[in-house]
Amino acid sequence: MSETSRESRVSAAFVKLADTLIADYDVVDLLDTLLLECTQILDCEAGGLLLVDAVGQLQVVASTNEEADFVEFMQVGAGSGPCIDCFTTGKAVTVADIDESGNQWPEFRTAALQKGFRSVLATPMRLRGEVLGTMNLFSTFIGPMNPRDAAIAQALTDVATIGILQERNIRETGIVAEQLQRALDSRILIEQAKGVISQTASVGIDEAFVLLRSYARRHNLSLRSVAESVANRSIDIGIVQPATSERQA
Amino acid sequence: MDKPQDSHSVAPPIPSANGDDADLCSRFLGLYPITGASISVIDEAGNHSTICASDDTAAKLEEMQFDVGEGPHWEALHTGRPALVPNLQSGDTSAWPIFSEAVRQTEIGAVFAFPLNMGAVTIGVVDLYCSSSGNLSTSALSTALSLARSVTLPAARLAIRSAHAEAASTTTGTAPELRRVVHQATGMILVQLNVNATEAFLVLRAHAFSSGRTVHDVAQDVVARRLDFGATAV
Repeated sequence: MSETSRESRVSAAFVKLADTLIADYDVVDLLDTLLLECTQILDCEAGGLLLVDAVGQLQVVASTNEEADFVEFMQVGAGSGPCIDCFTTGKAVTVADIDESGNQWPEFRTAALQKGFRSVLATPMRLRGEVLGTMNLFSTFIGPMNPRDAAIAQALTDVATIGILQERNIRETGIVAEQLQRALDSRILIEQAKGVISQTASVGIDEAFVLLRSYARRHNLSLRSVAESVANRSIDIGIVQPATSERQA
Repeated sequence: MDKPQDSHSVAPPIPSANGDDADLCSRFLGLYPITGASISVIDEAGNHSTICASDDTAAKLEEMQFDVGEGPHWEALHTGRPALVPNLQSGDTSAWPIFSEAVRQTEIGAVFAFPLNMGAVTIGVVDLYCSSSGNLSTSALSTALSLARSVTLPAARLAIRSAHAEAASTTTGTAPELRRVVHQATGMILVQLNVNATEAFLVLRAHAFSSGRTVHDVAQDVVARRLDFGATAV
């Protein structure tokens, strides 16, 4: 990527994140945007974002790839791998060559190499000394992450983290826990909705997510609200075909 | 009627891992004007089991509602929304005549029931009571909602493991019984059987229980389309 196109991409990403924050937004949409932008700007092949849940475990809230095995792979990293190290230390973890990581995280190493990933950057989502989660970007190329790239990832992540708090009632303590809880619950709704769409439209789970996301974008709705309507059967995305569904603004 | 004050309510902490079950109830007790709390979940047979009660009255309140089959607890469960009854002793309680009659024999002034929602699935209810009547303030209500959210996941884990020897996950990462595939299977089953999400989740767990398998295993079969509840008489 040339310097100018890169600069403009970074600026565009900040603008996009800021835009997400101004409108009535959902945390899952915000994190989804953050992840997709960072993956593209940093020329990575895949990425996943994990948030800590009520019992202190990391949960995948957004991923570039919805395939079950990729999500499972992210969870492996959340058990023992750069993701959890980044989360516990609150510092970015970069692994230039996963193959050379030895016995540090054997299970993660095997799983990553199997998927063709050779390097990873884990960026913490920090807030006043607390770590809320991590964003993990995977590349199929060996090599250390350029420090400037790492700084961009951190800056974008910080904007999104602040964004988590921007919703109403910012004064109230416990709002962070509340927001994380909501984000994780949104994710559960999305999974239930994926199941509904997969069954009604006879498509795979991955494709169900694509249908869900495109419906949300097309109708300018949050993923959560669409997922909720799908899960309680008040809308049926399986029947509304993408090409013919421009029914509402 | 007591006028509720806008007191500083206790913030929901991010609870530590492996907090014991009693702790799930106690975190509601710092919330003014709540006197007691009980939490119950629905097991795979559709039965309600109490996972904690902060005192005898809280336990009795829940038992009473189970016995008579009506009350705010049931309303929260069926609607997936909070059922707030600020004045039980003299307010309009025509919606629950038997429950109201029973509750008048107690010291309970107000009951606030909150569903524990895991996405579209209601896995249980937390019943809060106050010894005097009165509304919850807006901030107390929002704190109660957020506390209810914070106990949902731990309660869901207990619900799934309550009767079945679902292997307790000690590893970090998501507990197997609550991985994505379980929620996806719930969505598929609700279409297959044309039921709501809560019922679909119950069917999934009941099937796992009766076949001696884990919820996670059965969910994988559903998502892989090896098992279709619509195709078989369940």
